Amino acid sequence: MRRFRVRGTDPHTLAGAYALDALGASDRARFERHLSGCPACAQEARGLQEATARLSDTLATQPPEGMRERVMAAAARTRQNPPAARPARAGSAGWPGRRWGIALACGVLAVAVVVGGLAFHMQQQLNQDQSRSRAIAAVLNAPDAAMMTVAASRTRGSGTIVMSHQAHALVFTAARLPSLPSSERYELWLMGSSGPRAAGMLPAPRAGMTAPVIVSGLRSGDEFAVSAEPASGSRHPSSPMIMKVTLPS
Amino acid sequence: MARGDEAAYGLVYAQLAGHVIGIARSVLRDPAQAEEVAQEVLLEVWRDAARYDPHRGTAKAWVMTLAHRRAVDRVRSEQAAADREQRAAKLEVSYDVVAETVAARLDAEQVRRCLGSLTDLQQESITLAYYRGFTYRQVAALLKVPVGTVKTRMRDGLIRLRDCLGVD
Repeated sequence: MRRFRVRGTDPHTLAGAYALDALGASDRARFERHLSGCPACAQEARGLQEATARLSDTLATQPPEGMRERVMAAAARTRQNPPAARPARAGSAGWPGRRWGIALACGVLAVAVVVGGLAFHMQQQLNQDQSRSRAIAAVLNAPDAAMMTVAASRTRGSGTIVMSHQAHALVFTAARLPSLPSSERYELWLMGSSGPRAAGMLPAPRAGMTAPVIVSGLRSGDEFAVSAEPASGSRHPSSPMIMKVTLPS
Repeated sequence: MARGDEAAYGLVYAQLAGHVIGIARSVLRDPAQAEEVAQEVLLEVWRDAARYDPHRGTAKAWVMTLAHRRAVDRVRSEQAAADREQRAAKLEVSYDVVAETVAARLDAEQVRRCLGSLTDLQQESITLAYYRGFTYRQVAALLKVPVGTVKTRMRDGLIRLRDCLGVD
């Protein structure tokens, strides 16, 4: 067993300061060396980092005007690094056919990530994802794209909507929705002055989160809603909406 | 350029850019520098997204850890350190949040409630380190308590926060 001291102190007590970035550069480097040889400490540090990350929830604010465009433009010019070299984990890529970026995005949107699945060997499956990706990209890259989060009533579930009237579409993903019997699925609705229009089914969640779906045919003045329906889908909502939001015009 | 990746990145941006800029503003206390750091972080996320390892934690924690680290690194760089001396006296931390969504507000409220369940010293230690970017030695000096105490309070405070928030 490797012994380690940071200036004469027990390194285990530094896990909190480490998670808070409250160590100076040299203490930090030494603590990271310690972590690499202590799986239990690394696990504790990760848990504390998850908790620390939540502190940022109190800081979330509107990004400055134009930053999105600047960042997206910089990204378009910037080459991406390949995955860090490590043995391929067969079967661990839980989103087959999804590009790594989608996996990260799903993870970010659902907040709790289960899967990585990023690889170059997924090229062959790209084609089927491409039209969906293009539709999603059209919404996300639209100049009027707007994002909002919706809480599901009486549950801890939530949904994220990115919408664009120019693209006549929105992208929706949900997390932590109550699970349904296998005979039911969540159905999405657009509700305008002429009543509710079926807008597609939500894919079955994986570990509580759903992959983003694209909802097209968005009209000005629509509300967006979600209800539990028979798995084959309904033409009209047959149960109370668990989520409903008025979309900005 | 793969368009699918850009689309995915757009989702990442939509969800987390507000947090990233919030962290940078909180730590740096300077809108221009904060935006610079936030943009660097978001670009780093784009560049290194393939290196994100879901087995090591959530995507959000990955991005937030990076954002806080970069903000802190910047504030501790020499130039910033000089500017900051004058501001060190002002220690009050305000959670000036502009959370536009109900879910975001609920998340933030849960964090505040959990922070509120900590002891004063745990809360002050964590707050000064996270929201202002001080090292534990600086925190100890500011609070006039031994460094060993601050380290311990940061750890047991975060453990309590973790359990209160139900993250693991």
